[in-house]
Amino acid sequence: MTVRRRAPRCWRTGAALWLAAAAILPGCALLADPPQTAALRMAAPADLPPRFERDEVPFFPQTPLHCGPAALATALADVGLPADIAALSEAVFLPAREGSLQIEMLSGARRQGGVATRLPGELTALMREVAAGHAVVVLLNLGLDFAPRWHYAVVVGYDLPAGELILRSGTERRDFLSLRTFEFTWARGGRWAIAVLPPGGLPVTALEADAVDGALGYGRVGAPAQTARAWGAVRQRWPVNLVAAMGLGNALHAAGDLAGAARAFEDAAQQHDSAAAWNNLARTRDSLGDRGGAREAATRAVARAQLAEPQWLPQALQTQRELEPKAP
Amino acid sequence: MSQFRRITATALSASLVFSGMAYAAPSALIGTEQVAAAVAPAAQPESRARLLGTLERADLVATLEARGVSVSDVRSRVDALTDAEATQLMAQIDQAPAGADIVGVLFTIFIILLVTDILGLTKVFPFTRAVR
Repeated sequence: MTVRRRAPRCWRTGAALWLAAAAILPGCALLADPPQTAALRMAAPADLPPRFERDEVPFFPQTPLHCGPAALATALADVGLPADIAALSEAVFLPAREGSLQIEMLSGARRQGGVATRLPGELTALMREVAAGHAVVVLLNLGLDFAPRWHYAVVVGYDLPAGELILRSGTERRDFLSLRTFEFTWARGGRWAIAVLPPGGLPVTALEADAVDGALGYGRVGAPAQTARAWGAVRQRWPVNLVAAMGLGNALHAAGDLAGAARAFEDAAQQHDSAAAWNNLARTRDSLGDRGGAREAATRAVARAQLAEPQWLPQALQTQRELEPKAP
Repeated sequence: MSQFRRITATALSASLVFSGMAYAAPSALIGTEQVAAAVAPAAQPESRARLLGTLERADLVATLEARGVSVSDVRSRVDALTDAEATQLMAQIDQAPAGADIVGVLFTIFIILLVTDILGLTKVFPFTRAVR
């Protein structure tokens, strides 16, 4: 720690020269704050606590190359999900690339039982998540575009007056990074941030499309009852989202809750007049023994598919055929 | 005997390929991923590719294996991806950022990164501290 404190002073004297040389080339832009940091310095959102740190977030010091699994383990353990570094490395590490790709970070989280949801690329969104008690996994490019140094870390706190973020990063349990440097390195990594929560939880800042993608991905591996919880949370916040209603219906159907599934499909069918919803409603009503209601829904499915949603016509016609009374 | 083996292998690989598909569309209901692909904005160029998910998956398995993922893990890794993700991963596997926390730097780049570290634009070296 003392080394860390002393070293910069040495560099700082030499820095003036470098600084002068570097500042001449692209003008003074290098010393300006990046836009979001500048906006935060001008005026921080009033509803955001000025400083917040989640000291309880566990720490998994990384081994070389394995910042991805370490960051995921941190986020998973924080919400009480299994966080086995070895299993996570098997799930996300790509040997030929000597690292972990973002898409596999999402799928790696869901294989351990967490719903991974993308967050908006805004500093305030990250802080709001931290203040709401969520750990945020970020991808940083610590180097430059032509000499990238990709790194996953976990944001666990911030200090607005000091202009700093606190991260679990690499082998540092509390790594302080100035907002300005964080924004530069984060922007160079595409402002990628995710929160990992158990099914049923939702990040406070998530956008509708990202929440849908999160639940959709979770449905690939999650048990039906858990997937239904994930969709239920999305549907609660966005009650008229068609995919969420269909996801809830399909998950409940797979979990054996046919009555619940029928309710979800009914809502989706009535809200959106969706042929897919009518089709699934017909199938579910049939399984519930309601032949008449099933035929009615199948008719609506075919009508709607013929009118506006031709992609569902084959399935709708198939459903209608199967529901026809058998000739004696 | 070798013909028997060939038939068994073919049947086995086909069942592996289609196991993912069976998962996506249970009991004749229209699957959620299909609905999501249908409601996605038509401008999205990948929405067409999404329909090719099953073929893509078999390719992706081979691609990941070629990049060092062990045979025992690769199936479950690919199964955990949505069709859209599988398509995207296939397209970007050699270009997408790979968080790795290591860099082989030449001396000039070392100097440049040192300066940018001091300016607070980057954070490559643990011993640097930004001037502001």
